[in-house]
Amino acid sequence: MRTHALLLTTSVVALAACSACSSKESATGGSAGAYGGTFIYAQIGDVSDAFPPYIEDQNGRMVADLVFDRLAQINATLGTVGDKAFDPRLAKSWDWAKDSMSIAFHLDPRARWHDGKPVTASDVKYSFKVHSDPKAGAVTVPLLTNIDSVQVRDSATAVVWYKKHTPTEFYDFVYQIMILPEHVYGSIPLEQLHTSPQTKQLVGSGRFRLAKWQPGVRMDLVADTANYRGRPKLDRIVITPIADANAGMAQVLTGQSDFMQAFPVDQSDKLDSSKVARRIDFPTIGYAWLGFNLFPPKAKSGTNTFFGDVRVRRALSMAVDRKAMLNNVFGPSATNIGYGPFPAAVAYADSNLKLPPFDAAAASALLDSAGWRMGPNGLRVKNGVPLKFTILSTTTSLFRRRYSVLLQDALKRIGAQADIDAVDAGTFISRLNGGDFDAVLGTFNPDPDVGGALQSWGTKSIGSSNWMHYSNRTVDALLDSASASFDPAKSKSYSSRAFQQIADDAPAIWLYDVTLINGMNRRIEPARPISPIGWWLNLSDWSIPADKRIDRDRIGLSQPNP
Amino acid sequence: MLQSLIVVFLVTTISFFVIRSAPGDPFSYESSNISLAVRNHWRDQFGYNRPLVEQYARYVISVLHGQFGYSFGMRSSVAEALSIAVPRTLLLTMLSLGLSFAIGMLVGAVQAARRGSWFDRISSGVLVVFYSLPDFWGALMALLIFTFWWPVLPSGGIVDAMHDFMSPSQAAWDRIRHLILPVGSLTLLTVAAIARYQRSAMLEILPSDYIRTARAKGVPERTILMRHALRTALTPMITLAGLFFPALLGGAVFVEKVFGWPGMGLLATGAIAGRDYDLVTATVIVGSVMVVIGNLAADLLQMAIDPRVRE
Repeated sequence: MRTHALLLTTSVVALAACSACSSKESATGGSAGAYGGTFIYAQIGDVSDAFPPYIEDQNGRMVADLVFDRLAQINATLGTVGDKAFDPRLAKSWDWAKDSMSIAFHLDPRARWHDGKPVTASDVKYSFKVHSDPKAGAVTVPLLTNIDSVQVRDSATAVVWYKKHTPTEFYDFVYQIMILPEHVYGSIPLEQLHTSPQTKQLVGSGRFRLAKWQPGVRMDLVADTANYRGRPKLDRIVITPIADANAGMAQVLTGQSDFMQAFPVDQSDKLDSSKVARRIDFPTIGYAWLGFNLFPPKAKSGTNTFFGDVRVRRALSMAVDRKAMLNNVFGPSATNIGYGPFPAAVAYADSNLKLPPFDAAAASALLDSAGWRMGPNGLRVKNGVPLKFTILSTTTSLFRRRYSVLLQDALKRIGAQADIDAVDAGTFISRLNGGDFDAVLGTFNPDPDVGGALQSWGTKSIGSSNWMHYSNRTVDALLDSASASFDPAKSKSYSSRAFQQIADDAPAIWLYDVTLINGMNRRIEPARPISPIGWWLNLSDWSIPADKRIDRDRIGLSQPNP
Repeated sequence: MLQSLIVVFLVTTISFFVIRSAPGDPFSYESSNISLAVRNHWRDQFGYNRPLVEQYARYVISVLHGQFGYSFGMRSSVAEALSIAVPRTLLLTMLSLGLSFAIGMLVGAVQAARRGSWFDRISSGVLVVFYSLPDFWGALMALLIFTFWWPVLPSGGIVDAMHDFMSPSQAAWDRIRHLILPVGSLTLLTVAAIARYQRSAMLEILPSDYIRTARAKGVPERTILMRHALRTALTPMITLAGLFFPALLGGAVFVEKVFGWPGMGLLATGAIAGRDYDLVTATVIVGSVMVVIGNLAADLLQMAIDPRVRE
């Protein structure tokens, strides 16, 4: 019996090992030609919704960007004033009216939906209705208030009418609206669109089409070979959800998957020594900060005991060596330092802002002048109140976990005690919305236009995304002027002055621009430039050289077994 | 049966109110691109702004009509989401239950037959170590050893990304490969305890008169063990099956998370994190019903096997 058991165990292990050996794909003799390849993306979390009006996260946005099209696509310069930074997509050209109160978009006559039907102006009109009608409840409803209507001039021409002429009117319509097929979704009442199972049948006009979607298991996107912009170089993208970063890391390092976003930074040295995968960093338009609640916690008005005084905020900023922390967390060659209340990738970024310099001695002197005297136990006190507060953070971000510890240490050196309160994502956002925090480690991913800064720092956004309750009427006026200016140079001048004022008021410490550290199989050749609003935007042009293709790259466009 | 229904009702009610008392709701996304106005519109549209008691009453009525609500995380009805996930969890747990009993009973029987031998001592020690290990740690170690240090098995999921393009035999083997680690991890959870119980039960039976008689008659030792002693020891083990099934269901939550197995456990943890209220409550209902059914099945099986229980 013992012998049988031993034999059985050995056989199972040997079979598993042999299977692993036999499934090791040959790297030699790939198929010829520029087209081909299977890209397997190990994605943390599943795609919950990829129907454009209701996309709530990046996973859904990626799929929507590949399957659907906009009338035009913003390029990597992210210019939002006028139309210079936009490349034609479904609209091959457009004409501005003389008074700029309308734009006529001429659709590409070659554009087809994935079911073969032509893309028409009625689809554009329908898409605007879905994205803007409150009954549909789309995320874009508040962003389209300046658009009056869409008129169908003929089957290939849609005219967009605006309520007033603004610098970003082209961007407002084109960036926020993905064009949807009316003949597929038009029969669904708007109120039922959010929960209709039909919206999981993604029918778009993009260079990839949805082939298969098994929630929790995989999503297959295959090349649309008849696409009006030409077929993508890859044959297939397979998105496999993973629950855990460790599993994803193992998949990429063993070649089971080709790409993993947000590879654990503390394990990134494994990519350097791997023969299978390599490290590749992509920019984003996210930026991270340590923000100070200017109201008392949970209050809707008032002045925070600690952070209501600008001297305290500036002192805390000056206690932090941001460059050293960046190098500690991202590595010695990291360059993604935060320059202010904006990501460096946007057109209105200004890397010349004067931020509070790192000077612990000056920080201590400033706190002394504000009445926070050093106590015997190394903790500052004012009127019997110790300088002790919590930093709210989330458990889901390794970067923020590491930064919170470094910040805690830095602030301790000047006599401030910062306790870390790390919570799950749902609790985090709930407490942010309720103002239930002292300080918070957070990130913003603003829209590329300067209006995005108003969403985060404008007085009107208090109670919405302006979680720190920061208010400065001068900043509001300057950002309004920046948004309303048609001259990009003047707009940037206004926004720079606004950002300098914000930097002087120090409602936050600007830590880093969010950079994605990714693990990618060495046979993959990404196309450049990588857009900071989504590394996947040019995935259609990524390729696998013929001499590097492996077995799964040669499957081609064949249909899977039923 | 009435007691079981009361248990399910109580568990449902508790989970309904507990998940709603946690901060956040299904629309608490960290994305600042979704405005508060839009989120409030969704809260109104789906009734999450109504008084809690009203939400509860509506939920109970819909459950009695067989409607378990809508899952925002899965973008589908809760029933549809569970109909896909539950069989996957049952596959893991039933395979683990079967394997752990098969291995545990075999090991326990041999340990009892060779009491005090090196096999008895070494196997007991090894099994105690496995029994002491936390479930998730064991699963993580298995992941590390067999998918990273010695990459012979897949690190997650239920099938390979290229499964649909495999031949039938390759596809079958692919499914088996993906089962090995999660089933193995779950099996380790209970095999030690089962072996221990089996050993104790056999040690009670082996000195019996009828066993001594069988030996005296010259019946081979293997036949005595497998046919006579083991059958008598089967009755308490069936009771154990009813008790271990809930333990395996709980263990499946950790194992599914580690190996990315898209079953009920992974669904539940994702639903809790995402405050997917209806899905959380429904998984609790299904879990408690499965436990009740498991215990009932164990009782019925016991009655079928042991005539003394029937009487």
